[in-house]
Amino acid sequence: MTMATLPSTLAPAVPADKPENESARLGFRLTLPAQILVLFIAVFPLLMQLYISLSDWAPLSGVEWWNAWELWNSFANYSDLAADTRFWSALWCTALVMVICVPAEFLLGLALATLFADDFPGKRVFYSILLMPMMVVPAVAGYMFFMLFQSGGPVNDILSALTGRTVAIAWLSDPTLAFIAVVIADIWQWTPLMFLILLAGLVGVPDDQIKAATLLGANAWQRFTTIVLPKMKTIIIIALAIRVIENFKIFDTLFIMTGGGPGVATETISVYVYKVTTQDLIWGYVAAIALAILVVLSVVAVFAMKRMAKARELAA
Amino acid sequence: MSAIHLQNLVKRFGPFTALRTMDLHIADGEFMALLGPSGCGKSTTMNMIAGMEEPSEGQILFGDRDMAGVPMGRRGVGFVFQNYAIFTHMTVRGNLSYGLRMRGAPKSEIDRRVGAVAELLQLTPLLHRKANRLSVNILQRVAIGRSAIMEPAIFLLDEPLSNVDAAFRAVMRTELKHLQREFKQTMVYVTHDQLEAMTMADRIAVMDHGVLQQVGAPLDVYNNPANLFVARFIGAPGMNLLPGRPAESDGGLVIDLGPLGISPPLPEGIAAVLRGSNGEVFYGFRPEQVTRSVDGRGLAMPVSFVERIGARTIVHLGEGERSVKAVFENDAGAVVGETLVLVPDAASVRVFDAGSGRAVMAEG
Ligand SMILES: Nc1ncnc2c1ncn2[C@@H]1O[C@H](COP(=O)(O)OP(=O)(O)OP(=O)(O)O)[C@@H](O)[C@H]1O
Ligand SMILES: [Mg+2]
Repeated sequence: MTMATLPSTLAPAVPADKPENESARLGFRLTLPAQILVLFIAVFPLLMQLYISLSDWAPLSGVEWWNAWELWNSFANYSDLAADTRFWSALWCTALVMVICVPAEFLLGLALATLFADDFPGKRVFYSILLMPMMVVPAVAGYMFFMLFQSGGPVNDILSALTGRTVAIAWLSDPTLAFIAVVIADIWQWTPLMFLILLAGLVGVPDDQIKAATLLGANAWQRFTTIVLPKMKTIIIIALAIRVIENFKIFDTLFIMTGGGPGVATETISVYVYKVTTQDLIWGYVAAIALAILVVLSVVAVFAMKRMAKARELAA
Repeated sequence: MSAIHLQNLVKRFGPFTALRTMDLHIADGEFMALLGPSGCGKSTTMNMIAGMEEPSEGQILFGDRDMAGVPMGRRGVGFVFQNYAIFTHMTVRGNLSYGLRMRGAPKSEIDRRVGAVAELLQLTPLLHRKANRLSVNILQRVAIGRSAIMEPAIFLLDEPLSNVDAAFRAVMRTELKHLQREFKQTMVYVTHDQLEAMTMADRIAVMDHGVLQQVGAPLDVYNNPANLFVARFIGAPGMNLLPGRPAESDGGLVIDLGPLGISPPLPEGIAAVLRGSNGEVFYGFRPEQVTRSVDGRGLAMPVSFVERIGARTIVHLGEGERSVKAVFENDAGAVVGETLVLVPDAASVRVFDAGSGRAVMAEG
């Protein structure tokens, strides 16, 4: 709407198509409040961040933020960022969590959705149980998993019972195991969301087309790959995009479980930013990191949206 | 063998019985139309033949093979859905080739058969088009082609023409009949349009409220309706039915039609069966099979309404229970208020028992 109205209002008024021009101007006036709001919500903080990221400004540097130009450091934050191994390690860690968690959540969610698309006894009960992890406050979930993975915790107890030996693994003190624990917690908490979105997509697949495919001799797997998946493409892309973006910002559960440790073994971007913000207090640098992440996420979002438009065209 | 035998077929949906003890035998290569008003169980019957629904009772046999437990993908039936169920995310070619692809047919064969079917149904220029933006007329042909390409021995069509426009419907009627003659499949065709059933089918099965009313050749069903429902349902307009009682007269057995006087003498076959009974009956004759009396004897009734339909004229006479329609192949010159004296063709008169609704059949 705003995209369409703006250019025409800016264009010189042509008397010939006056009514059209008038309605465009009215449209602009009507959407003005919304445009100002968007400006304040999105554009203003962004510009502020960009501004600060070009300086050494910190809350304790003695100047108000709008005077940060006094601390101008000529792109030093960005060159520092490029050389910051801890930043790159955090980025790597975030990416690793993402490439494990999102596909796992997707496949589990899809399998569960397929299961729940048909009727079976006790479906409602299982459905409610399945959605519970999503309702748990992430901080609480973090504390829960923190307790579960203690050396004397239930996870080790179960392993002991299964193997018949006493297992006392210090899960959260070992870099690899801590990483695994964090991944498990994320999958536990976010598979239900994936399941819910995919189920909505699955029940939207027209039943008669599936029947038609069956009558034409397609087996269950063929029906799934040739009818169900193509029809769900848009919703799959939405689900994946939501989870990729959310997962990139993974913080609360993880922070309570490991605090990013041991060492920096589970230090994701958000944890790193948090530490730099609260411990080192160099906000100019934080702003630079945040902008870098924003750029990365925007690229992901644009890519997803492009694919989605294409998929919708194909599936309609 | 692709004869279809439905034996004592019953379908219940919870407490609701959609189909009551249906017995129908469809011969190999026959074109059978299932005809009936909306909700009479036509689709239900088809879905059971295709294996989409399980019968509550009874059996379905293809030839001498019991179909119980045979999944729908293995029955070898082609099915055209009422709403076509086209795969909208594929091209026309993708739709046509779907069955063959799923069975892993070699690419050369797929191309050849898709080409042939597309040619037959005039879909060749549309093969590359996405199916989601096609008109109903084309979707309908794609739906038929998609099933026909599998060369099924049994072809089930559920109201395939109910959504297409009238002109195209007429074209498709001949096309479908032609297709069936060529491939000699056993065809079951659901419709609520009697014109379709009459023009295409070898035999018609008339259904109402889940009960099979009559099975027979189109003309047979038209001429000899088995009961009051079929008499009213078949024909446009349906058969005229006047209440009355059998009575003896000089000329032979007649029906006393109360205020309308007495009917012309009944044909001897029917009279022989009715003679001696005094139960209420319906005196029936086709609107197309009446003439205007020349000697003043016959059913004298006032004209209430005159309907001109092209070359034909439908004259409505009488009112309420005692009203009839007469179809004339010309203007007929009838004026509202005028009294016409009608004589039903003796050979076309039918009598129905009012209690059971069944036709009184001449013996032998
Ligand atoms: N799954 C179902 N559950 C309950 N009732 C059903 C179900 N399917 C069909 N019916 C009922 O069974 C009856 C017969 O339905 P059917 O679809 O066979 O009718 P039809 O003759 O095909 O009608 P139409 O011409 O409208 O397609 C209808 O009254 C319908 O409401
Ligand atoms: Mg139907």
